[in-house]
Formats: sequence, C-alpha cells, structure tokens
Amino acid sequence: MTPLSLDQPWGRGYRVSHEHAYAGDAPLPTSNFLPRGLGRSYGDLCVNDGGTLLHNFRRDRLLAFNNVSGVLSCESGATLADIAQVMLPRGWFLPVVPGTRYVTVGGAIANDVHGKNHHVAGSFGGFVESLTLARSDCATAVRISPDHPRFATTVAGLGLSGLMLDTDIRLKRIPGPGIEQEIRLFGGRRSGAGIDGYLELDADSKPWEYTVGWIDTLDRDLRGVFFRGRHCDGPDEWLAPQPARLTVPIDAPQWVLGRWSARAFNALYYRLHATKTAQRSVIPIWPFFFPLDAVNGWNRAYGRRGFIQYQFVVPTLAARETVPRILAHLREAGVASYLAVIKTFGDVPSPGIMSFPMAGTTVALDIPAPDERDRRALDRADAMVADVGGRVYPAKDARMSAAMFQRFFPRWRELEAARDPAISSSFWRRVTADVHQKGPQT
Amino acid sequence: MSGNIASTAKSTTAATAREVVVVGATSAVAQSAIRLWAARGATLALVGRNQDALDRVAADARMRGAASASTHAGDLADLVFIESLCATTTPAVALVAHGSLTDSAHAETSAEYLDYELTLNFVSAAQWAQRLALACERAGGGTVVAISSVAGDRGRGSNHAYGAAKAGLTAFCSGLRARMATRGVHVVTVKPGFIDSPMTAHITKKGALWATPDAIAEGVLKAIDRQRDVVYLPGFWALIMLIIKHVPERIFKRLKF
Repeated sequence: MTPLSLDQPWGRGYRVSHEHAYAGDAPLPTSNFLPRGLGRSYGDLCVNDGGTLLHNFRRDRLLAFNNVSGVLSCESGATLADIAQVMLPRGWFLPVVPGTRYVTVGGAIANDVHGKNHHVAGSFGGFVESLTLARSDCATAVRISPDHPRFATTVAGLGLSGLMLDTDIRLKRIPGPGIEQEIRLFGGRRSGAGIDGYLELDADSKPWEYTVGWIDTLDRDLRGVFFRGRHCDGPDEWLAPQPARLTVPIDAPQWVLGRWSARAFNALYYRLHATKTAQRSVIPIWPFFFPLDAVNGWNRAYGRRGFIQYQFVVPTLAARETVPRILAHLREAGVASYLAVIKTFGDVPSPGIMSFPMAGTTVALDIPAPDERDRRALDRADAMVADVGGRVYPAKDARMSAAMFQRFFPRWRELEAARDPAISSSFWRRVTADVHQKGPQT
Repeated sequence: MSGNIASTAKSTTAATAREVVVVGATSAVAQSAIRLWAARGATLALVGRNQDALDRVAADARMRGAASASTHAGDLADLVFIESLCATTTPAVALVAHGSLTDSAHAETSAEYLDYELTLNFVSAAQWAQRLALACERAGGGTVVAISSVAGDRGRGSNHAYGAAKAGLTAFCSGLRARMATRGVHVVTVKPGFIDSPMTAHITKKGALWATPDAIAEGVLKAIDRQRDVVYLPGFWALIMLIIKHVPERIFKRLKF
C-alpha cells in the first residue's frame, strides 16, 4: 500500500521539502532522517522538513503466525488492513485498532495507538512481544522485548529510537466477522447535560468490549450518540471489507467548511441516529471500526488548506467538569468542529514512557483550516488540559507549544536521550526547541 | 483461462499442482502479482537472486493463502541455472519480471556495464521466456508473461540501452508467441509505463503518468485471464506510444526525454 502523499501529513495544509529514501534498499541514512509508514499522523510528527524521510511502507510482508500463541511475525511496514484481512478468516483479529486500518505496525507502535477497547485492553504497545531495532549508531540490529531498556522508548517513541524491522505482535481470537452494536443517544433538550448522559452510559457499558461516543461540540448541551459493541459471528461475505466506493477526487472548496456548515452537518448526523436509536444490530466488523476507510482520501474533503485534529485527555476525576469547560471555551471562541469523538480510557498501563492514553476521558475534534484565532483558542485549551494533569496527543498535533508538550510529557528527556542521533522530525524539533538551541544539535 | 488453472491448483495437492513460476520474484510488480496469486491459492515457484529476500516473499505468499511457495536463488543470467530450473518445473503460468533500469550515462562510459545490462534485460529475459515456454508445453500448455516496457517501443536518448534491451524482448516475445501459438502455449507481452517502485525510487517528481506496482500487477493477471497478446499498462500508454512512434526521426532525435 502506498501513502496518499510522500511529503504531506494526513492533515495536509502545508508544503515541506524532503529527500526520500526507502528502508531495505540500502543501509540507514547517516544523518537527519525519519522512519515513516503511511503518513497517517495528522501533523508534523510524520514530516522531517529539510531532511530525509525513510519510507518503510514497502517492507510490508507477513512472515509467520503461531496458531497456539496467536503471535504474528511481520515486517514493521505491514498494514493493519492486510493483517486484519488475512487473519479474520482464520478467526483472529488485531488486539487494538485505531480509527483507520491504513496504518503500519511500526506506526501503530511508534504512536502507541489506542482504540475503542482501551478501557479493557490498553494500547497497541501492550501487545508487542518483541521487535528488531536498527540504529545508525549500532552496526547490527538488536532484538528487543518488553524487558529491554530501549522498549519503553520505542513504544510511543514517535519513531525516534530507530528503524523497526521485524515485529512480533499478539493477536486475539474472535468468534467471527460480526459486531453486535447498540446505539444510544445522550444529551438533547430533554435530558440535562450531555456529558452526564455520556458518562452514565459509559459507566453502564462495562461489559461491552468496545465503547465510543460522537459528541456535538457546537451544541450547548453537548448532545451525542453513544456506540457500544462486541464481537460476534457473521456471514462469510463479511470476512473481506467492501472495497472503497467513494473517492474524494478534488479538494473541497473553502466556503463549504465554515462553522455554519459544521453546525448543519452535526445536526444532520444527530437526527440520522435519533431515528434508529436504542437499537441493537449486528453489523460487519469493517464499518464498525473503520467508517472513514470507506472513502478514499477523505482528508481532501477539508480543502486545500487542510485541517488539524485536536485530541486531549483529562484524568477521570476532572472529566465531568473539565470536558464541558474546554468544549464551551472552544465553542465560544468560534472554533468549528465536525464529528468530535469522545472515549473513556481505562487504567491498563502502557509499556511506553511517552504513551498518550491515561485513565480518564479523551475528546478528538477535527478543525478545518485553523486561523490565528483558532490557534489562540487551542493554546488556551492546552493550558486548561495541563492544569488538571491531562495531555494532548502528539500523533494528531501540529501546533502545541514546546512548553506545553514538556508539561504534558515530563519524561520527554528520556526519549531525547534514547533518540537515534541521526533521527529527527519536524515535530520533535518543534516541541524540544529550547533544548536544541542550548545543546549541540545533531 | 489461466486464472482458472491457478485457482484449480487449490483443489489438487501441492505435489501435483501446476505451478506459477515467477522469475525476478522480489521485484515490486512481481511481489504484487504474487500476492494476487497467493489469494487464489496458487502453488508458487519463486526465482530470484537473493535467498533472504526470496524467503520473505515466500513466507508472505504462504501467509496470504498460497498452497505452497518454493524458492530458487541463483544468478538469473546463468544458463545452467535457467536450464536446470526449467527442466524440472511444470508451470501453468510463468512470469518473467526481472530487470534493471539502466543508467544511460554510465552505459555510455562503461562497456562492461552496458554489456551486463543488455545481457540481464534482454538476453537472460529471452532465455527464461524461451525455456519456460517449452516447460509449459511439456506440462500440457500454459501462459508465459514477459514484462517488457514502453521504453522498448522507441529508443530514446535518455535510456537507449534499457530501451534497446526491452525492444529486443518485445520482438522476441512476438516471435515466440507465433512459434508457440499452435502448441498450447500463449505468450503475453506486458508494456508498463512509469512504475513507482524501488527501481525508480531516485526519481522524486512523480506525476499523473505514474502507476503503482499493485495496479500493474492487477493488469498483468487480467491480461493472463483474458489471454491478451500485448498490453500497455495502464492502457493510456497505448495512445501515448502511438504518438511517440510516429514522431519523425528528424524531430525525435532533438527531443530531450
């Protein structure tokens, strides 16, 4: 599988200049390179302006599978899409999936991605048995497992600790290609504050393996739709995904992307689900986990100027009060947002010291073509998140300040110390800017 | 028809199944094609230079559904290697996909390099196509597919050595098709345009004319299934090359491409 763009991040919106190299063709570059999978990070995490991108998407072979232990060996450029499609007919599935299956295993580890089952399963890094790491300062690649000192800076290491070669990940057995899904509404005029409704439904859904909500951040009351699901069997036709039928062929014009259209879109989405509320249905596994994968290049729908995604998490105790406060702040500041996602994380620890999830509630908002005013509002939101001990997600970020990043991730110096001296990214230079000015830069 | 042969491989045992033989199995187009055959449950024989790389391609093919995948590493231009392998294989389909994008400037200054490139891209490809066609015939019929190139349609200043080798391969396959036409063996000539692959990784500006190895591989399997003779991939290259072939030489020799 080939990335949509070799240069731009998923959120698009700006141009960068790179040298390109391909992992596996030659020895590692000797200076200023960044390993890259399919470039699905939203911001400059998958960009290395002025340096080299070491593309890993061609190293995508599946190597072996152990039917007893469930451990799959593959090259780190293998996509979750290929793994899911090959393993589903054998009754196995990925232990954790993000909202798109078009990411590589290496990318999933480097960002320690989470999914709708975080409250029971934790993040992707918890299912990595071992991996081979190649570094520019080591003559031979080293096999590392969770007890190796480099493991904690490779999981959630943002690609900085070296190039991952082969990886062993633990899959899980599932009964078949179906998902038993329930949809519930929360908020709306009749039932008090949306966030209370959401938290109640979430607390009520402990026996469900997968939970997630969609929340209308432009609505004062924070109305939304709550989805919960669990694996079940289904017909054989569901074993393979339907091929994507829709393609966004051109960039959407800017005028369709203002806050009024966001309002209209959100209202329509809510009404659509209101008509089929409280129902229980059995659907194929693919649209449940990857609804947007049905549209090729959906990021182009946000126009040439692109979009950013803002995802934060706040600790459990602060959630009821802080989430509505931050969303009200963004609404009043006029920040347009489509399809915000809300999810409650559990307390399963991650092996990575820079992992994003923590026990608490996370919200992710898409913001088209943010202007200066939007950015100031987001800076203020960062401070509100930091004040209660929360974090903003680097994989989605394109704008947080170095000071804020270092508050969110106080152990970042350990990653800096473990970083391959020849690896860097635009993101890392941005969020560690002050140390780079002080110390010698590589 | 050959698609049916590949899928019937599933119902027979690995020992007796007619094989899909892939020469140059670690090339980008070949790997994409191998995945498509693996999903059909084919029995694969993978031929290439590098044993470690072949092992990975074979493991991947087995994971993706191949009934079996054997590996055969050797010098692809070595006649003994070609002969011995083709004497023992029973292909239903054989794909000749190896090649090297010749550096024209280097070929101009180094006679050795020019000789090596012409040998690899034309002589060895023709040898494989010939031997595999006979192996197909012995096995009771089949299809030989050779990956040539649009570059073989006319010699250009920027890749005269590569273009000449591919022109030779195209002509060879055209004649081989005629020789085998009444002997149960079909020969397909595939002429891809620009492919975004490791072979062209050094070219950074890639426009709308570039295709992915997956798209080319799908075209290859479709051409086999439909028993086409010559296919341009993607199809629009037929039109481009029609025009290029008709530019008068007086003008063509001054064009910089």
